[in-house]
Amino acid sequence: MSERVAQGFSIRREWGRTTHLLGTIGPGVIWIVLFLVLPSLYLISVAFMTNGPYGLPQMPLTLQSFRELAGFGFLGWSPGNLYTLLRSFWQTLIATGLVILIAYPLAYYISTQPSNRRALMLLIVVVPSWTNQVIRTFGWMNLMAPDTPLSDTAAVFGLIPPQLGLFPSSFAVIVGLVYNFLPFMVLPLYAAFEKMDHDIVAAANDLYATPVRVFRHAVLPQTLPGLMAGTVLVSIPAFGMYVIPELLGGGKSMMLGNLVARQFAEASNWPLGAAAALIMILATLGGLLILRRIGRKLGGGKEVVL
Amino acid sequence: MRTMIRSLAMSMLLTLGLAAGTSAMAQEKTLYIFNWSQYMDPEIIEAFEQKHDVKIVRNFYNSLPEMFSKLRAGGDSQYDIIVPSNYFVPRLIETGLVQKLDHSKIPNLDNLHPKFRDPSFDPGNQYSAAFQWGTTGLIYNKETLGEHSDTWGIMFDPKANTKYPFAMIGDGQVTMGMACAYLGFGYRCTDREQWKKAAKLVLETKKRENFSGFNDGTPQLQQIAQGVIHAGMSYNGDYVFFKSEDPEAYEDIGFSIPKEGAEIWVDNMMIPANAPNPDLAHTFINYILDAEVGAQLSNWTYYSSPNKAALPMLDEVLQQPPSTPTDAELKRSHFTPSLSGEDLQVFQQLWTEVQSR
Amino acid sequence: MKRSRLNRSLQVFWYLALLFLYAPLAIVVTFSFNSTNTYAKFSGFSLRWYEKLLENEIILNAFYNSAVLAITSSALATVFGTALGYGIYRYRHLQLGWLIWIIYLPIVMPDIVYGISQMTFFVGVHQLTGFLQPDLGTMIIAHISFQVPFVALLIYSRLVQMDPLLFEATQDLYARPWQRAWYFVLPTLRAALISAFFLSFTLSIDDFVISFFTAGPESTTLPIFIWSAIKKGITPEINAISTLLIVTVFTAAAISFAIQRARPAQSRSSQ
Repeated sequence: MSERVAQGFSIRREWGRTTHLLGTIGPGVIWIVLFLVLPSLYLISVAFMTNGPYGLPQMPLTLQSFRELAGFGFLGWSPGNLYTLLRSFWQTLIATGLVILIAYPLAYYISTQPSNRRALMLLIVVVPSWTNQVIRTFGWMNLMAPDTPLSDTAAVFGLIPPQLGLFPSSFAVIVGLVYNFLPFMVLPLYAAFEKMDHDIVAAANDLYATPVRVFRHAVLPQTLPGLMAGTVLVSIPAFGMYVIPELLGGGKSMMLGNLVARQFAEASNWPLGAAAALIMILATLGGLLILRRIGRKLGGGKEVVL
Repeated sequence: MRTMIRSLAMSMLLTLGLAAGTSAMAQEKTLYIFNWSQYMDPEIIEAFEQKHDVKIVRNFYNSLPEMFSKLRAGGDSQYDIIVPSNYFVPRLIETGLVQKLDHSKIPNLDNLHPKFRDPSFDPGNQYSAAFQWGTTGLIYNKETLGEHSDTWGIMFDPKANTKYPFAMIGDGQVTMGMACAYLGFGYRCTDREQWKKAAKLVLETKKRENFSGFNDGTPQLQQIAQGVIHAGMSYNGDYVFFKSEDPEAYEDIGFSIPKEGAEIWVDNMMIPANAPNPDLAHTFINYILDAEVGAQLSNWTYYSSPNKAALPMLDEVLQQPPSTPTDAELKRSHFTPSLSGEDLQVFQQLWTEVQSR
Repeated sequence: MKRSRLNRSLQVFWYLALLFLYAPLAIVVTFSFNSTNTYAKFSGFSLRWYEKLLENEIILNAFYNSAVLAITSSALATVFGTALGYGIYRYRHLQLGWLIWIIYLPIVMPDIVYGISQMTFFVGVHQLTGFLQPDLGTMIIAHISFQVPFVALLIYSRLVQMDPLLFEATQDLYARPWQRAWYFVLPTLRAALISAFFLSFTLSIDDFVISFFTAGPESTTLPIFIWSAIKKGITPEINAISTLLIVTVFTAAAISFAIQRARPAQSRSSQ
């Protein structure tokens, strides 16, 4: 009798847990599967189709697009796509690094403020991102044009010829990227700092002499989840970004996001675009795997990145 | 903090309520136009709305390929009128994204200048009717590059201009066409060997220190007044517009059709295959082709009109170069060729190559 | 002593960052008052573009669409995403690793592929069933689908930071899941929730490519309009609307800040 009651309880509990699981994970996952995974199946399958006269996919199935992606075109092999890939990696690395350097002190400073002021300060950091990306970039184009204080200063130091401006250049692209992605790092870092145990930092302050070691032993472990989340939020969109390189870099150097977008637009080659997208998705997921592993290692075996 | 969340929630609900309210009342007949931005006098829109008791909704596109992919992805059932340039017309026809025009509903088609009545890209105007036309030429700073510059050498000859930054147009077919023209192959070159040489020239030019970047024609006009560039490729009508808007800033900026040749283009009104209101679309095309409306349109856009009946009513500035090119200039201006199949792919691979190096 | 010096330099850093963040916006605001349509120089003060703006139904409409889209999608995405992040954290022992790849898909998929896929899907469903005609509704669906993973990511990173024992304790304290959520989980996650909402809002209000494809003719948003308009260069009207946007946001912030200050007791709950 009592056994059956216990069993009933455990079934009920099991049942409750299942509904709880479905209730929490269900809506989000179903939403993504229904409105993204399903729709994208067709477009991904396009990667294995033949390119039609105006860039639209046709039968039969082929691996031609992947060959083309590897650089084999009508004109023989070319390393063009490889350059594009490396350039995108390089740019992502620099931008993410700089964003981390700037976001850490900002997020920390905000978290040390009285609690009623924090939301406002967070808002101040985020609001520039609510004006359109093109508009912001346009502001930078004007700030870095020839004959502006910034460009003149750079020219005085001999960094650029006097009749040229700081824009367009790869320097301008990096500035634009850092500007654009800063909030994506500040937000998760702030969420991490907000819950940080300041006593540990204070103790570490007494224990270790240099700020670097305080950071390494007391701050970093506590904010690691936020840092890793921020790195994902910044590096992945930066990897596929193309509007900013286009506008601030003068469209001189193609990025991966650019390569994909072009195939669906001016280059008129949907199969190639889908193939490039597929490779890009796999590469990014690979990058994520590495990030998660780094996170696990730094976090002492805990899964710190979702 | 909680108050903040609460007020956020409140404003959210409020906006949602408003949205529900507005969507319920929009039931009158609507004409959907997909066009370049800043390319239609709003007063023409208002007049048409009043005359035919309809509502016009306008959407805009940034580039023809963008418009093409939106139509391809299902947008051909969303719009009644699109306004593509000549070299995209065959592409739209052959992919079945547009429908034939019913000439009996467009009597004003006869107002078109004979030049535009039977264009090579759409024989017999079966699918399209001209909207506006213009040229793509050289813009240059007279002070730094000389009073009368009329050669693409300003960009492609490394010795002609070593110092001042310049830009080229981001549309590969136009920039490659200009390079072809400079090399003596003519703007309309489609030979692969010639393309390769042109691509090589563009690539070398791109590597020069004073090459500023690839950009669209109109932003280049803004940049040249700002001093970001000293030479570029742009459109005659926009040049005239900016010059009349700010004569002082554009005093030293010139526009020319270089002696090697340049581009002439026509933008055309077309009706997507599954347009929601094809009848109203025909009425609208006919309205635009009216002589007075055509003149009003051109006087607003600063581009010349393909409408012969409208020509006498154009503003004086539009009746002279560069808005209306001279006969000699017209002779060396050519349509951009419409590419398809392997040609299109070879060209795109070359252009991708230029961009990725 | 050491501490105050750190604080001083952090403060300086904060103001430098503000300069960095707002310098480009200052340009935008300045040129919205320019009397001519060119960027060659500031030719004189004028409210001409604001007058034109108020007559420009297209821009005002786009502004309105953007606001509805961003607010609705962010709110819903914050709910779904928080539940998702929480669920994955709670059941991390259940070998749900494979789910991660589905959740990450929206983050890693190139925008243009994303947009075209969804547009093709919506149009197809609409032809078959009559539902999901591309308009603001489909855009909200699309935006939620890319916001959810970002929210989940952020919420999860916040949960990982917590002491797992706390959960055990609340399990005894509050029997029902919703009690636990209301009295324990949500208050703990407050900072992360606000961050997540801001993040979603930022993603939505700035998205162009996915919006462009999933929009119907009547649901043009500001980014779509601005992108198409830069073909002709940025007109001062766009600067004017951006200025208004900045002013609106700050006014709203100032008001809610003032309300908060008036009731200081409320803001000091569980920290």
